[in-house]
Parts: sequence; structure tokens; C-alpha cells
Amino acid sequence: MNSSQILAYTTFAYLATSFLYLAGVTFRSPKALRAASWTALAAVIINVAGILLRWKESYDLGYGHAPLSNLYESLVFGAACVMGIYLVMEKKTGHRALGVVPSLLAFLAMAYASFSPDVSSRIQPLLPALKSNWLIAHVITCFLGYAAFAISFAISLVYLWQRRRHEAGHASGRLGFIPGVRELDEYNYQVILFGFLWLSVGIITGSVWANSAWGSYWSWDPKETWSLITWLIYAAVLHARVVRGWQGPRVAWLSMAGFCSVLFTYFGVNFLLSGLHSYATK
Amino acid sequence: MDRLLERPEIDHVKPLEVNEPMSSSANLPSLFSSSWRRLGSLRLTLFLFFILTIGCVVGTLFPQGVGQRELLSQFSPRIVRWILALQLHDLYHSPWFQALLGLLSINLIVCTIQRFPKTVALLQHREEFLDPRKLSKFSLSRSFTVCGDLARVRQHAERVVRDAVGSPRHLHAPQDSFALLAESGRWTRYMVYVVHVSVLIIFFGALLGSLYGFKGMMNVVEGETNNRVSLFREHKQVVLPFQVRCDDFDVSFYDTGAPKEFRSDLAILEDGREVLHRSIRVNDPLTYKGVTFYQASYGAILKTAKVQFTDKEGGTSFAMDLSFRAPVPFGDTGRLVELVDFAEDFNGFGKAVAIVTYKEGEQPKGSWILVDRPHFHGNRVAGYAVQVLDLNQAHYTGLQVKRDPGVTIVITGFILLLIGLVTTFYTQHRKIYVWAQASNPGTTVILAARTTKKSLAFEKEFQHLCERVRALDATARKES
Ligand code: HEM
Repeated sequence: MNSSQILAYTTFAYLATSFLYLAGVTFRSPKALRAASWTALAAVIINVAGILLRWKESYDLGYGHAPLSNLYESLVFGAACVMGIYLVMEKKTGHRALGVVPSLLAFLAMAYASFSPDVSSRIQPLLPALKSNWLIAHVITCFLGYAAFAISFAISLVYLWQRRRHEAGHASGRLGFIPGVRELDEYNYQVILFGFLWLSVGIITGSVWANSAWGSYWSWDPKETWSLITWLIYAAVLHARVVRGWQGPRVAWLSMAGFCSVLFTYFGVNFLLSGLHSYATK
Repeated sequence: MDRLLERPEIDHVKPLEVNEPMSSSANLPSLFSSSWRRLGSLRLTLFLFFILTIGCVVGTLFPQGVGQRELLSQFSPRIVRWILALQLHDLYHSPWFQALLGLLSINLIVCTIQRFPKTVALLQHREEFLDPRKLSKFSLSRSFTVCGDLARVRQHAERVVRDAVGSPRHLHAPQDSFALLAESGRWTRYMVYVVHVSVLIIFFGALLGSLYGFKGMMNVVEGETNNRVSLFREHKQVVLPFQVRCDDFDVSFYDTGAPKEFRSDLAILEDGREVLHRSIRVNDPLTYKGVTFYQASYGAILKTAKVQFTDKEGGTSFAMDLSFRAPVPFGDTGRLVELVDFAEDFNGFGKAVAIVTYKEGEQPKGSWILVDRPHFHGNRVAGYAVQVLDLNQAHYTGLQVKRDPGVTIVITGFILLLIGLVTTFYTQHRKIYVWAQASNPGTTVILAARTTKKSLAFEKEFQHLCERVRALDATARKES
């Protein structure tokens, strides 16, 4: 069995996970939610196993590099990050009901990687510019950040929905297994802090790497610029919370805008704009 | 800042966010103080973040660093006029974008000047006594009665608080009561300033680099030396105080045809003496006297060519060795011949050389000669059929050359930024207050807590703390 096959199974495992989460939330079934968590854990484990196998395969082919070098590999890694971080959060908060959107995002990333004709799953040799340990540090840290923002996006959605229910005067009792607005706001904040920290590390490692490879730590390349845009949006989120009256819904909306910027940094820049990072389209 | 809601801070901080109406526009001091306040306000920060974000987005949508001619080929003249006026084609270096970054720095500096002294004052302020009425108004506050006399409660509470945050301090309290205050992570309140100062340090390093550094390209032919760097953003050359020699350049390929590695063996010469010899690769540059050389590109140039000329009419034929751009007498015609240009791939026909002949003071006449198609009918110069017999090419390595005295400062800023972020995000300043008074029977206790990171987790921790203090109750009841 090769890594592409394993990763194709992962896609279906994530699909099953999102169905279970969705079923759990719609039918208010703690049993389905528990099953969803375990399926999610299994899916992440298969996902990571696929990544490790792919790493080994690249050595067998004589190219030997960490599987983080093209669009396919980064999508696969991104899926593992989103679900991995989500599961840690689930364990910490004890709430299982927020898993629908993260598992759906992981599924979409994997499905796109596995089935889109734009994405080649072939293991390719590394271009000279990518031969650096900074590459590994850069990609991993950026993706931890992006994954956290994906989860913050999910929490923001639920937050806005919960808030509307509250304002409409629904009793929170019937949906007690979905966290309340205050808890959601706090989880959101924690996840954004985590994401902001890792995005900062990601931008910095990228910058240090660019300095050693091209002689310039910042060159306003579109990808760099878009990651800065994302960073500015989340910096605005952090500061907005300090100003009175900017908490709650505004933070949720800003965070969702931030995730759109993440998506554009990742896909839009590759497909619509050209620059140093456009190797990732292949 | 209003996280740890303590008196000295509330008074000063709140007004910073409110735009107070000015009493009169002629009132200069108040005009000054209100603009000073605005200059340091978070609203300005959010506004600047917003505008900078928009600016960055626009900059990625327009092609950057292109000339007017290229713009005209993509946009209508009217749009081009706007692009040029707003400098959208070189946005990140435009004065208005730089001014925004400058304003953000000023905002940050003013904000720091306004707040830092208050933070210091706040942290130096030590409570002398506790007011139970105030304590019970804290958002984290519980009061309860435990049985057990004051001395026992005191001993017990001290132990519990010490386990939770650290040794408590005893404050003044009347005879039949006691007051404890324990505190941890006081220093973490300074860390947000580390974050902000590190941003300023990064800006400062970038400024130094743009004022005193340069960035450009330099090609060095194998076996030759060079010391001239053509700058990127200006039409200027920098002459290095030393020479760079390229001893060898090498590209290797994967079996897929993709390049695997570019390598140049470089030597640094001072007054003709070799002082350093090293190879560089992509991702592995060479730095000498603050100037760094990066492997950026490569290419080939023509050094000499062996060319055969055949006179169509006379049927005579002769061969010459021509050096690149060195005119030599053209047989016995009284003219000169020169190899003036070379193309690796001439319009898809492969290698070609441009050869011209001329008399002193005359317009040169000549043509491109296709090397790989010796019998092409266009291979003619001045009535001679021309054929290239041999090419002697040399490779050159393309080096990106940079001097940036700001890099160490920027990297210091990066490190400080990360340290600052980790500590502001994941440490907190917390205070636990205990006040107790003997009440017959038992003892009345008020427990209260404050933290810079109000969180559900801390709330739980506080509840747990209360349970532990109350647990004395259970032990006491068991004993009796
Ligand atoms: C690119 C620039 C900036 C960065 C990266 C930055 C970063 C941060 C971070 C990470 C925090 C901590 C947030 C939290 O704990 O939730 C923070 C807080 C804060 N920032 Fe900034 N900041 C920047 C610019 C500014 C500027 C220009 C101001 C000027 C008013 C400012 C004022 C504040 C204030 C007042 C706080 C709250 C401090 C507190 O909670 O004690 N920041 N900033």
C-alpha cells in the first residue's frame, strides 16, 4: 500500500467524521458525538501515518525530503493540523459539539488534494531554493497558525449563531451541549492567540529563510504580503478586544475575515498571483 | 489595559479612549493634549491596521516594480495616470505607504509613553490594607463562614494560598481579623511592552537597511573577476572595495530534468591577493566584510568563435578567430569585422552570433548567423557566406549582492517579538486576596481574585481555591 492510497482512505475517514459530528449535533446524540471524536482521532492517526510513509517513499525514490514541499503535501498536512488541534481543544474544553466545521474543512482539503486534477500527488524532487531546514520550520509553523484560524472560523460561526438564538430569546437549555456565548468567545480568543503566535513564528521563519536564500528578509512578494495581511487582521482582533464595545460579535466577524484572508493567502495567491511561492501550484 | 481593574489605572486609562469635546478651539494646550491622546489611541491603531491591510491588498493586485510602458500595455491611459499618481505600481516603497508605517510607529511610541509610566506606578503600588466591601464587589469573589477560630483559619488559608500562587503577604488588619494578599507573575505585565518595542526595533532595523544598505546583481564569468554591482531599484552601480573571482560554476540536474543544485566556487581578492575561497549554493551564501553573495542565476557568454567566410563569387574561403566585441581587420578588404552579440536561442533557431563589418566612421553592416544551421541562406555578411565552425563559450554565475546593516537588529526584534508574544499570551499576573474576621461562632472569610487573563479556567481555579479554604470546615467538623 502506498501513501496516496492511505491518504485517500483518510479523506473518507474525515467524511465519516463530519457525518457523525453533524448527526450528533442534529439529533443531540452524545453517543454519535463520542463516536465522532474517536473516528476523528483514527482519521488523524491514518493521516499522520500517510505523511510519514510518504516521507519514507521520497527517500526510496532518492529525493529524500520532508513531505511539505508542494500543494498536495501541504493540504494533507493542513488537514492533519486542523483536526489535531481541534481534538486537543475538544479534550481541553470537554465540548464535542464544535467538530462539524473543522472536520468538514479537513475533508475538503483532503478531497481537493486527492481528487482535483490541479493537484499532483507525485513525489517531486526539491528545487534548490527549497533545500533548507527552514522550509520545514516555516511550513509547519504557518500551518499550525492557519489550522488554528480555521478552528476560530468554526467557533465564530457557532458563536454568531448562538448569539442570534440568545437574542431571539431561546432558552439555552435545550441546546446545552453546545457551549454558551461566553465560553465560545473565550475559546475563540484562546485559539486566535495560539494561531497568532504560530503565524508570527511562521512569518519570521519564512523571513529568516528568505534572508539566507535570497538575501532579503522581506521582499513584498504576494504570498508574504498576504500573510502580513492575515497577521494584521488578527492583530486588529487582539487590539479590538482591548477597546470597549468591540468584543463579541465584531471579534467573530473579524476572525472570519481573517480566515478568508488565510484562504486567499493559500489558494488565491497560488492561482491568481505570481511570485516566489508560485512553485506551489504544481 | 483595563483587565486588572485597579483604581490608579481606571482613572487614567479610560479617558484615553474617549474623544473629549474640546472646550474651545483657541485653547492650545487642550488642542495639543487631545491630539496627543488621539495619537496614542487604539482607535488610531485599528484605523491604521485597516488602511495598511487595504494598501497591502491593492499592492498585490497591481503588478509591482514595472515601468510606465508595461503599464500602458495592460491598462488604459487614464487608469495608468491614476496608478502613477498613487504610485500603485511601486506601492510598498511609495511615500504614502511609508508614511502610514511611520504613523503606526508614532502611534506605538506615543501609546507606550502614555501607558508605561502607569503600568510601573501600578506595579509599584502596594496595598496596605483590604476593604472587605470592595473585595466583595470583585467579579471573582466569595464570602462564607467556616467554623474554626481565626488563628486556625489563618494558618490554613496561608497554606492554601501559598500552594496556589505563592507566599502571601500580611496586611494591616484590626485585632479580630486578618488580611492576606498573594501575587504572582507581576513581571508579565511588562511583556506586552516587549512585544510593542520589538515591533519598533524591527521597523528601525528595516529603516537602517534601506538607508545604509544596497541590493543588486553581479555577473562573474568563470575564471574572471568583478567588483561592480548593478543595483536593483536605481540605475546605479556600487563598486566593491574588493574583487570577486569565480573559479567554477556548476549546475546538476535530477533525472527528471529539474535543477538539483547550483554551485559557484568563489574567491575574494584584496589588492589581487586571494583572502577567501569558498563555494556557495542556493540557501548557502557567502558573507565578506558585511557584503553577502547569493547564488541567484547563471548563464553563458561567448568568448571567441572560429568563423569561416566564403566569397560566393571568387570562391575563396578563409577562417578567422574572432573575440567577442574586439574588432579586427577583415582579411585584405580594408574593413573591420566584429562579433557584436550572441544569443543562446535566437527566435527558436538555436545559438546565433551577430557579426558586422565596417570601415572606420561608417555604419556597420551585418547579420545574425545561425550556428546550428550552417547552410541557412541568410548566413551572409557583406557578400560572404558565413559559417561558424567553433564556439568558445564561458559560463557566468549570477550573484545577488547585498549589504544590510539592519539585519541583526531586525532578527533581534524577531526574537524579542516571539518571547514577548509567548509570555503575554501564556503567563498572567494574578492576585489572591483573603480577608477574615472572627464572628461568633466561627470565622467569616472573603476570598477574591484578580487576573490579567480573565478566563473560565481561572474561574474554575478560583472555585477550587474556595473549596479548599472551606475544607477546613469539614476537617473541623470531623474533629469535633
Ligand atoms: C504591529 C504592531 C503591533 C503588534 C504586533 C501588537 C501586538 C500586541 C499584542 C500581541 C498584544 C497582546 C494582546 C492580548 O494579550 O490579547 C497587544 C496589546 C496591546 N496593544 Fe499592541 N501591537 C501593535 C501595535 C500597537 C499600537 C500601535 C498600539 C497603540 C495604541 C497598541 C496598543 C496596545 C494595547 C493598549 C494593548 C493592551 C495591553 C494590555 O492588555 O495590557 N498596540 N499588542
